Amino acid sequence: MQIDYHINDKFDFGLLFPVIILFCFGLAAIFSATFNNALADSNFQKQLIWGFVALIVFFITYSLPTKSFKQLAIPTFLISILLLIAVIIIGKKVSGARSWLAFGALGFQPSEFAKIGTLLMLSRFLSMNNTNINSFRDLLMALGIGFLPVVLILMEPDMGTAIVFLAMIITLIFWKGTSVFALFVVLSPGFVAFSSLFGTYYFLAALFLILVILFLFKENIFFSGSIFALNLASGFFADYVYGALKPHQQQRIQAFIDPMSDPLGSGYNTIQAKAAIGSGGFFGKGFLEGHQTQLQFIPEQWTDFVYSVIGEEFGFIGTIIMLGLFTFLFLRILKLASQSKNEFLSLTSIGILSIFFTHFIINIGMVLGIIPIIGLPLPFVSYGGSSLLVNMIMLGILANIYRTRKNYS
Amino acid sequence: MKSEKFASASRKTFLSAIIIIGAVILGLRLFQMQILNQTSYDDKTADNSIKMIELSPRRGVFFDRNLKLLVNNIPTYTLRITPADYNKKLNEILESVLKVKPGYINNVLDQNKVYSKYLPLKIKRGINFDIVAWLEENSDNLPGVDYIVDMHRGYPAGVYGSHIFGYAKEISRKQLKKEKEFYKLGDFVGYNSIEKSYEKVLRGTKGSKFVLVNSSRKKIGDYKNGADDIPAVKGKDIVLTIEAKTQRTAEREFIGKKGALVAIEPVSGEILAMVSSPQFDLKEFSYITSKDFLNILYNDPGKPLFNRATMSVKPPGSTFKIIAAVTALDLGIITTSTTFFCNGGYTYGRLFKCHGVHGNVNVIQAIEKSCNAFFYQLILKIGINKWSEYSRRFGFGSKTKIDIGQESAGLIPYSKYYEKIYGVNWPKSILLSLVIGQGEVSVTPLQLAQYTALIANNGFAVQPHLVKGYIENNTKEFVSKNYKSFNVGIDKKVFDIVRHGMYLVVHGAGTATRLRHSKYEISGKTGTAQNPHGEDHAWFVAFAPFDNPKIAVAVIVENVGFGSTYAAPIAQKVIEEYLNSLEPDESEEVKTISLLKKTKMGEAIAN
Repeated sequence: MQIDYHINDKFDFGLLFPVIILFCFGLAAIFSATFNNALADSNFQKQLIWGFVALIVFFITYSLPTKSFKQLAIPTFLISILLLIAVIIIGKKVSGARSWLAFGALGFQPSEFAKIGTLLMLSRFLSMNNTNINSFRDLLMALGIGFLPVVLILMEPDMGTAIVFLAMIITLIFWKGTSVFALFVVLSPGFVAFSSLFGTYYFLAALFLILVILFLFKENIFFSGSIFALNLASGFFADYVYGALKPHQQQRIQAFIDPMSDPLGSGYNTIQAKAAIGSGGFFGKGFLEGHQTQLQFIPEQWTDFVYSVIGEEFGFIGTIIMLGLFTFLFLRILKLASQSKNEFLSLTSIGILSIFFTHFIINIGMVLGIIPIIGLPLPFVSYGGSSLLVNMIMLGILANIYRTRKNYS
Repeated sequence: MKSEKFASASRKTFLSAIIIIGAVILGLRLFQMQILNQTSYDDKTADNSIKMIELSPRRGVFFDRNLKLLVNNIPTYTLRITPADYNKKLNEILESVLKVKPGYINNVLDQNKVYSKYLPLKIKRGINFDIVAWLEENSDNLPGVDYIVDMHRGYPAGVYGSHIFGYAKEISRKQLKKEKEFYKLGDFVGYNSIEKSYEKVLRGTKGSKFVLVNSSRKKIGDYKNGADDIPAVKGKDIVLTIEAKTQRTAEREFIGKKGALVAIEPVSGEILAMVSSPQFDLKEFSYITSKDFLNILYNDPGKPLFNRATMSVKPPGSTFKIIAAVTALDLGIITTSTTFFCNGGYTYGRLFKCHGVHGNVNVIQAIEKSCNAFFYQLILKIGINKWSEYSRRFGFGSKTKIDIGQESAGLIPYSKYYEKIYGVNWPKSILLSLVIGQGEVSVTPLQLAQYTALIANNGFAVQPHLVKGYIENNTKEFVSKNYKSFNVGIDKKVFDIVRHGMYLVVHGAGTATRLRHSKYEISGKTGTAQNPHGEDHAWFVAFAPFDNPKIAVAVIVENVGFGSTYAAPIAQKVIEEYLNSLEPDESEEVKTISLLKKTKMGEAIAN
């Protein structure tokens, strides 16, 4: 039994196993969604090959010396920025966004690579001895590092990935120990502005929530009052901006709030995905038996809408198992992050957690129609080599941190 | 939460809470959608699905130059079964209606088991109208059975046009991957010749129709009464330069022979007829091509799929002598009074033979009698590079840019070509074979036809083409297509002289005197291309009428021997057929086109 002890001590099966099962769910869904599609019927094999490649890369990352991640932070960040600039200039345009760099038959998204670069760089900065996140100067510095890639990604434009970066920056700063109140002050106007798009009632509800939270913080009345005023103003500002938008942009927002308002355009995918999932019922219609999937109501269902295939063909059982696997994985990473006493490694782990979680919540929320359509793949499940590879590198970093956690404690 | 220190326990709790709350919200939403509201969503997928049906446009048809329909669309009905909705108890009755062997349907269904049972399978193509009527009548009792209308190409004029029209077939997976913006599986796409090079004109614009379908995917109504539907726009109809009767005559003449023919209207570059033989029946391609038929085509030593008219390159033989005559006359090296002596050949290192003893001949007589000795002596005065430059002026050695793509350039050697092979002192005796169109010089029948047209039209020509223009869908108006024209830049007097020689080939003591009894004044030049692999190839180039040439023809008949015996009679038939068609019909043709412009008669023709 001694051997088992050693393996468990060096390798966290709790990280890899859920991911492998999720990947297999993805393979089944990709197979089913491309089954009748002459243009994509090789996607299953491609994803399988990518899976093997990604697994090898995972083990390579796993066995690197742990200190190398910190050493790699600056070079990977600089390369990321260069690639992000390059993609804006010479990138390949795919459905409106210039986010792909092509090398012959292979293409990859610099923004995927930049996730790792930015994460390592920000973690490195925040873990430096003299960094004080509650000083205005250092907070500004941290935001500067984080926002540089965000601005470049917004220029592509790739809204979804930019949101992932923002979530990561906020999580890292939070984990570092910034004042929660400060974070609240920064974030609440955005929340109110977003709510106001849904109409007056949502706007009022959001304001009420802000009021309650302000009350709980027990800051001085004048300060709280100005923050409330700021929130109020942001709601009206959002309304003003909405009015100034071009009709097709308004339409896209409208389609999220009420998909039925444009059932053939932007709302189409949501309606069809919701119908697919809803009709799956408890047990699902069975593998290769989903009407919506097999009749290809949803274009390119094997990418961002892959969860709707699971929902239709494997039902509630399938979707809940996947939800459980993801939650298990997230809590496992969180545990790892809080175990690690090395600040850099702990921050890196929490950053990876935030990247996975943001993808997860936005993708599934979008498919279930509770979040607007933002094109983000479901980690380890959606079809796509470059995102699978980067996700497996990040998983490899986590496994690596687990391996040497005792040396750094 | 107030503890502002790194990775504090309260912050960990906060993040765990976010993860768990997030997962619970998604879980509850799933519970709501998949358990509580399952039936309502099921209804949505079942009863209220909006389905987009793609409407395929009809392919444009082809007319000949007199607006006679050459290629049209014929509907065929295909019976389909959607396995998910189908009941196998119906097999027996369907099999008896379709008049197929018992077990046929099961067999097809088994073969296609790997495909989704929600996709309709094509069970039998080409079912007749009685069966369609029966299907319509009994559709309520035949779940999962339907039919679709496919269009395939028909050739109502009795013209093969194997190498002119080309064929359209269901798109291949390989091509589909390249052009997925427009096509989807099962779409027809042009595969060669006109069907291919004019694909974008012919294919039209797809439309779409939105319908509401129920759980068995039966249509239950139009979505928004069709307010969002976009009708398909049919492809443009094409007017070819071909003259149907002339083409048919040419095709008939080539039955059982190998070779090619190209006939051009000299003034316009319009191709009146084009044949490459062996020919094949495009009807075999229009629908489902049987493997046997393809095997026959691929294994035939005569290579029927190869377009000889534009792609085969052969030495032009004596038809090419005129180049040397034109060159020498244009450069002032000779005049009509310059003569060379022929004693049955010419000695240059060794004896180069002539096929007769012609004595003192001038350029006109040399063409008339096809005297080799005259041209042997002439080329030594011209030199290879001048000769080759003039050949190129007539379009040899480069593609004519005919509008169907597949074409060879042929070869006109320069001095450098031989320097590479033999060194600087290459034997000049090679020139003596080149001038009589033997050796390395090689041309396509199309190039030779263009050259004849240039001679007939005083050196002015339009790029040869097969498509005259389109008929606009809305206005039914004919829109002509423009092509580049060019001029070889040689004096008309030079052409008068060589044309005189060509006139005498038929009407003097020449090599094609058998054509002199034709109703029309045909002028021409015979040629025989030496073939080291077997019998020689027979060439004949001709134009007519002499005074105002309306047609220029180049004919090659492979592996038969002497030009005048085999190739000239074919040229004669084709010329006569075309000129005959002009005489009584000329006024009528003009009338038809102007009628088409003014009225909507085009609609009737198009259908």
